[in-house]
Amino acid sequence: MIPINFEYHRPTSITEAVETFQQLQLDGKGPLYFNGGTEIITLLRVNQFYTNTRAVIDIKAIPECCYTGFEDDHYIIGASIPLAQIETMGTFPLLGKNCSRIADHTSRMKITLGGNICGKIKYREAVLPLLLTDSELTIAGPSGQRHVPIHQVFDQHMNLEQGEFIVQIRIPKLFLDVPFTSKKQTKIDRISYSLLTVSAIKTEQQIRFAFSGLCNFPFRSQEMEKALNQCQLSVEERITEAIALLPSPILNDLHGSAAYRTFVLRNTLEETIAELEGES
Amino acid sequence: MTGAAKYTADFTAPGLLHASLLTSPHAHAKIKSIDLSEAEKCPGVRAIVIGQDIPVLTGTTVEDRPILALNKVRYFGEPIAVVVADSEHEAQSACQQINVTYELYPVVNSVHQALESKPILVHEQLMNYTQVQKIQPEANSNIANQIKVRKGDIDVGRDQSEVTMTADFSFPPSDHAAMETRSVRAELLPNGEVHIHTSSQGPFMVKELISRYFLIDEDKVTVHTPLVGGGFGGKAAVQLELIAFAASRAAGGKIVKLSNTRETDITGSPGHIGLEANVKLGATKGGKLTFAEIHYNFNAGAYVDEGSDITEIAGLNCTGPYKIDHVWCNSLCVYTNHPYATSFRGYGHGELTFPIERAMDLLAEKLRIDPIAFRLKNTIKPGDTTPSQTKLTKSNIGNVAKCLERVKTLINWDEGQTVNLSDRLIRTKGISCFWKSSITPTDATSGAILTFNKDGSINLSCGVVEIGQGTKTVLAQILAERLKIHESKIHVMMDVDTQTNPQHWKTVASSSVYMVGNAVLRAAEDAIQQLCQTASIVLRCEPGDVDVAEARAFLISNPDKYVSVKDIANGYKYTNGNSIGGTVIGRGNFIMKHLTSIDKETGKGTPASDWTVGAQAVEVEFDTKSYNYKLIHAVSVLDAGKVLHPKSARGQVTGAMSMGLSWATREGFSFDKNGIVLDNQFRTYKMLRYGENPTYLVDFIETPQIDAPYGARGLGEHGIIGMPAALANSLSTAAGVPLNQLPLVPEYIWEQKRGEASDSN
Repeated sequence: MIPINFEYHRPTSITEAVETFQQLQLDGKGPLYFNGGTEIITLLRVNQFYTNTRAVIDIKAIPECCYTGFEDDHYIIGASIPLAQIETMGTFPLLGKNCSRIADHTSRMKITLGGNICGKIKYREAVLPLLLTDSELTIAGPSGQRHVPIHQVFDQHMNLEQGEFIVQIRIPKLFLDVPFTSKKQTKIDRISYSLLTVSAIKTEQQIRFAFSGLCNFPFRSQEMEKALNQCQLSVEERITEAIALLPSPILNDLHGSAAYRTFVLRNTLEETIAELEGES
Repeated sequence: MTGAAKYTADFTAPGLLHASLLTSPHAHAKIKSIDLSEAEKCPGVRAIVIGQDIPVLTGTTVEDRPILALNKVRYFGEPIAVVVADSEHEAQSACQQINVTYELYPVVNSVHQALESKPILVHEQLMNYTQVQKIQPEANSNIANQIKVRKGDIDVGRDQSEVTMTADFSFPPSDHAAMETRSVRAELLPNGEVHIHTSSQGPFMVKELISRYFLIDEDKVTVHTPLVGGGFGGKAAVQLELIAFAASRAAGGKIVKLSNTRETDITGSPGHIGLEANVKLGATKGGKLTFAEIHYNFNAGAYVDEGSDITEIAGLNCTGPYKIDHVWCNSLCVYTNHPYATSFRGYGHGELTFPIERAMDLLAEKLRIDPIAFRLKNTIKPGDTTPSQTKLTKSNIGNVAKCLERVKTLINWDEGQTVNLSDRLIRTKGISCFWKSSITPTDATSGAILTFNKDGSINLSCGVVEIGQGTKTVLAQILAERLKIHESKIHVMMDVDTQTNPQHWKTVASSSVYMVGNAVLRAAEDAIQQLCQTASIVLRCEPGDVDVAEARAFLISNPDKYVSVKDIANGYKYTNGNSIGGTVIGRGNFIMKHLTSIDKETGKGTPASDWTVGAQAVEVEFDTKSYNYKLIHAVSVLDAGKVLHPKSARGQVTGAMSMGLSWATREGFSFDKNGIVLDNQFRTYKMLRYGENPTYLVDFIETPQIDAPYGARGLGEHGIIGMPAALANSLSTAAGVPLNQLPLVPEYIWEQKRGEASDSN
């Protein structure tokens, strides 16, 4: 049970949502945009995070947030689309695959794409395909709407301005069906937090890599990609170089020690490279 | 499945108040002060109780545990205070306003640490505690109880051995993880009556303990237990009931509901015991076991509860089902600053079987004898004695060798223990035998009462809790079989109410069919006698001329002459209105027989009435590069004595196997250096899910237990017992390194492989 009382708002337009946020902010209610709500609910219940929240604004009734379809060169997924739905859509198989391994099915019916990539949790595997494909985000806020490359607003965490929320995710069409792999290993369970997830796509130039569960945040690293694509070196040498370029120390927690994660990382990178370099 | 079943927390009542617990964020600390002033001001708050308000120590073996922490906390999650409020959220909010100041103590974070010389003490007053049962604590130590088993002469056994092995084994404490978290409603009526509604496996124990600790006459206390949503031993412990009663009393006796959150259920309430063990076995070159020297150091956590009895039975059955003439075992019940342990499915036997059956494989390997052949040379049989020197008979033990032979066929052992599938993947098999007896009080008793409806159908009343195990179905079958009527004519009361249902010790130890089944048979005899008495008058003969079957009381010499049971069960009325007989009430009871207490120097004695035996196997598919694996097959063959309900027997065994594989593969608390449990939610405390399970094969052989109903042996817990060992034997074969710890996560296998690599460098 959540011991505190909070207001629940359910606007039906972007403007209404933004205005509601601003008003609640002025009222000192520490408002939060609310999508699937799984994280807010479960963390408030145990009195961790969001403890100053006295109002939430559910954005799932906003039509744009629930939209999916093509617009010019982009495939659009509304931020409120649940992971379970993305899993069955088939338009962007890599995203579908990553979504299918987040939490359990019951939770995936609730967790949304926007919610996953904005969450506090360190894994957020749904962001990996977006980083790999140089996706854009449609962000709404007090200063209106804007399209932004994900790399501009996502660095370890989603860095949104106060009062902003993600309306849609825009994935360049040309990446939807490129060769990819995505490998998630957990401590042992099929359904659990990631010990390590490595997602990769093969473009004309090179293989791109993105990681979750390895460090304290999900990331894609240009430096590591460069190292891993040095075809003149052996795979083992490339992997050793890439590991030296990690953006922060490897996690060492109850899911696995840093040393074991390194072992798993090596195996996973080796398999990823073998599979994608084998692709013609 | 309809979802219509109602559990304790599903019920509400007018004026119901809600209680919430404040639990300790530390594993070991002095409570310097508790400031309730802010919490008391919170809206809706009716009462707050802390340890000092109820300074009584509790425990069914030794009274070492305060109802709410007193002066210090001894484990992460220990209840410190209970707040009663008009609503659950108000109770919870007020809890957060209680200000406790602590002085942190160093933490006893493992059994190993607890047994160091000059250890940090979890209980300073160990020697001054009231012992409810005789136990042997050691002064200035963390040893709460020690069991010594001395059979034969260990030196002779050593001399006879030509090959020996020794190894250490361990696993951490873990949780029962029943689907229903523990829940209680307590009420103290103005006339002094106490009503406790609780999700318990031991309602009669709750009654006894409420009476004892709160000095209330037992006849004033009634405990009600509806269907229970899984217990696995965890709900045999009495804990929340005491807190809820104290909460109700503090709130003027109003009805108060206290339900555990999942987090509190995992760490605040008692869980599964941990173990550190060392086993030495010796054998002749021919593979005959000559001695066993065994150290079991159980991690009982912060309080003893059932820990000392688990320690005792594990010691008394320490060798597993093998004939060994020379046995030396010390089994210790050790305090640590971990959540405390209580009974858990298998009660010490899954725990002892993991080290013993791993040791058997390690010794077989040294002897270069096939693991099954090695076991077959040593299985225990009628005429042999147990480590506690109990003589085994054709009735009190089943046939281990026959179970093992059947497992050998079912797992297809002859194709080879290892089968290569590709350059990376292999399949390997591992096996385990097991035995189990129950350590019951020597005077554990049960009763059964039968009454008859006008249509001749029968109501059966007993004190067994229905917890998903299906005992009540089997009891109906037993009665139907005896009376030769259809079981649809038998109505078993599902809920337990200690005022109406006859006493049953506790719904634990796979013993309900044995105990209550026997009571039901006696109740049937009693009812038949009364029916024959009335029928003999109607049929104008002697009671001995009449028998009862198929809802009729008939002349044995001429079954065509009969009177229907429905016409005599509540008295027989002649056509002129005259009546005879009266309502029939069948009464039956049962008490354990010939059990003795145990000699404290040698362990000699008869702790149990019977041993159920079996053999198990697990086959895995193992990736030799990543050390990941999949469970493929799991096999159990039990000597069931007599299978009374094939589907539920298979269901019980399969469920227990699943629980054993879950424990062996992934369950076990992770502690940080301060003794904090890191996985106290299902986010991180993982269990085997559908889809991760192997294919289960369950089979039975039948060597009847003569004094049990229709020969049926207990089997509710047993499927769990050999699973960890069989899995570890399979994976050790696959990985080529000994895997002697649980849980068997791939990282642990990787560590052992890496250790092997650096050892050989």
